[in-house]
Amino acid sequence: MLDLVKTPVATDDVLKVEGLKAYYQMNYFGVRREVRAVDDVTLTIKRNEIYGIAGESSSGKSSLIKTIAGAITPPLRVVEGSVKFDFGGETLDVYGEPQRMKGARWQNLSYIMQGSMNVLNPVRKVKHAFHDFAFRHMGLSEREFRAKVEQHLKRIGLDPRVLESFPHQLSGGMRQRLTIALATVCEPDFIIADEPTTALDVLVQQDVLALIKDIQQRMGASIIFVTHDMTVHAAISDRIGIVYAGRLVEEGPTLDVFQRPQHPYTAHLIASLPRLGDKTRRSALPGKPPNLADPPSGCRFHPRCPLAIDKCKSGNPPLENRLSGRVACWRAGEVVAA
Amino acid sequence: MFKILRDLLRYNREFAIGFVLTLGIFLFALAHFWAPMPDSAIYLLPPDMPPSAQYWFGTTSRGQDVLWQMSSAIWNTMLFGITVTILSRLLAVAVGMISGYLGGKWDEALMTLNDTMIALPNIPILLLVYFVMRDSMSWPVLAATAALLGWNYDARLIRSVTLSLRTREFTRHAVFAGMSVPQILIRQHLPYVMPVIFFTAMNNLIWAIGLEVTLSVLGFSDINRPTIGGMIYWANQHQAIIAGIWWWIAFPIVAIVLLFLGLFLLAISVNEYIDPRSRLSRMGV
Repeated sequence: MLDLVKTPVATDDVLKVEGLKAYYQMNYFGVRREVRAVDDVTLTIKRNEIYGIAGESSSGKSSLIKTIAGAITPPLRVVEGSVKFDFGGETLDVYGEPQRMKGARWQNLSYIMQGSMNVLNPVRKVKHAFHDFAFRHMGLSEREFRAKVEQHLKRIGLDPRVLESFPHQLSGGMRQRLTIALATVCEPDFIIADEPTTALDVLVQQDVLALIKDIQQRMGASIIFVTHDMTVHAAISDRIGIVYAGRLVEEGPTLDVFQRPQHPYTAHLIASLPRLGDKTRRSALPGKPPNLADPPSGCRFHPRCPLAIDKCKSGNPPLENRLSGRVACWRAGEVVAA
Repeated sequence: MFKILRDLLRYNREFAIGFVLTLGIFLFALAHFWAPMPDSAIYLLPPDMPPSAQYWFGTTSRGQDVLWQMSSAIWNTMLFGITVTILSRLLAVAVGMISGYLGGKWDEALMTLNDTMIALPNIPILLLVYFVMRDSMSWPVLAATAALLGWNYDARLIRSVTLSLRTREFTRHAVFAGMSVPQILIRQHLPYVMPVIFFTAMNNLIWAIGLEVTLSVLGFSDINRPTIGGMIYWANQHQAIIAGIWWWIAFPIVAIVLLFLGLFLLAISVNEYIDPRSRLSRMGV
């Protein structure tokens, strides 16, 4: 994988999420269901930082970042808490000021979506996508805009001729680069990337990661990077947050989380990674992630946790500072990976 | 545009045949502007003359030249068909896309209306409208009525396409980038729906022409205005088949069959071309 590039000096906070709760609330034929996909998440992201969010499928990663981006539609609703961005000294409350939020999108905040290979409209040429998404946010004339887009594409390593193609004429890697180009052409302060490399093979993945890192450092943007692939996190993230069943269970600088995981779930996640030369069998955790419509009491990990004690069944552990990060576990630090 | 046309003519045989047929019939219909006599005049010529060098398609029992009658008739029938098609396409696209994209209450209201319209039988309603509005009945009124009856199946079809489009990534992306609902519908979704619109337009045109012929054959239209159905109506009134005036009925029928064939071939071949993903493979270039 990539070399761990030296972390740039992180300064003030760009994103503050406080006590965020977002539930899928459904009411079909008189039966009410509530899925607690994002449950009491508090996190801060600094300027110039790549923050990785990791967790298994259905742990609520995508719901969390959709809520952060303000891109949620019913039945997903924000029940409590706030999401505040700080773009160049101006505070923007995502759920307090929807109108200002609209203006900030793409300009200050852009989104590389999951399955972003399909972000381009299959029946329209690529140039139209740039025009539709970015043109009005940049305040340039048509010709200046075109020149700017071409220059941006060249920097990213794409031939400007791709603008005249249809998406089906491009390879998967090219489309992935294009969607990254699309998300970064306005030079946003904050980029949300939802599994941008998952559909790519490792070589292209490496290129794309290097590209994202390069753009981030040149523009001084912050990125939330979501993927279930821990090796990608190791390569790109400055800090990572581990999500389990809709909750943030551990957070810390990437290296520390990998070397000294505090939460038993994190420990298992990292222990399950294959290592060069190590031929021992990797153990898997028994059980499945809990049903978020009916989560277990107390700590949501306790039914699968090898360290569970009675306290875990009754009390929900708070996310507390510990060493260089934060962890939500009654027995934090006592972890020995199985 | 010309390059596309040239390529289509060169590589797609259905298109070439359809294009030649439709163009030929269109030019033939266009010729009525230069007709030597007005199309409403009767008994200007000797009646019941069989096809000859002087009267290519013969003359009718009302002393009209079948050639020039047909020229006007095809023009009027096509005009009716195209009017119905354009009006009903506007309705179908608007209802289908709005209902599919907005969903919820809009969808419920529009689809209830749509399904009600589907359940209504067309011909009896048109006959009712004709009898109620008999004195003020003109072809534009009839066209508007037919258009109001001809959009509903296609609105459902377009709705189904839009339903799938609204959950695609590019729609979510467009919403996130701050595009408004009309912008998303027109710029992002309309190009995708275009082949459906085009194909249903061709079908609708054929349906509308068929409807016009049906109503006119029965005499439920302006019988003094020559149309294909109108010609058959007059031929029946004069018992042309029993009297052996076959050319009065045969030529209009041949013309309408050729027109249907041409439009159908155009519909299937252009539809293949309009979708950029299948364009090259289907054209074999």
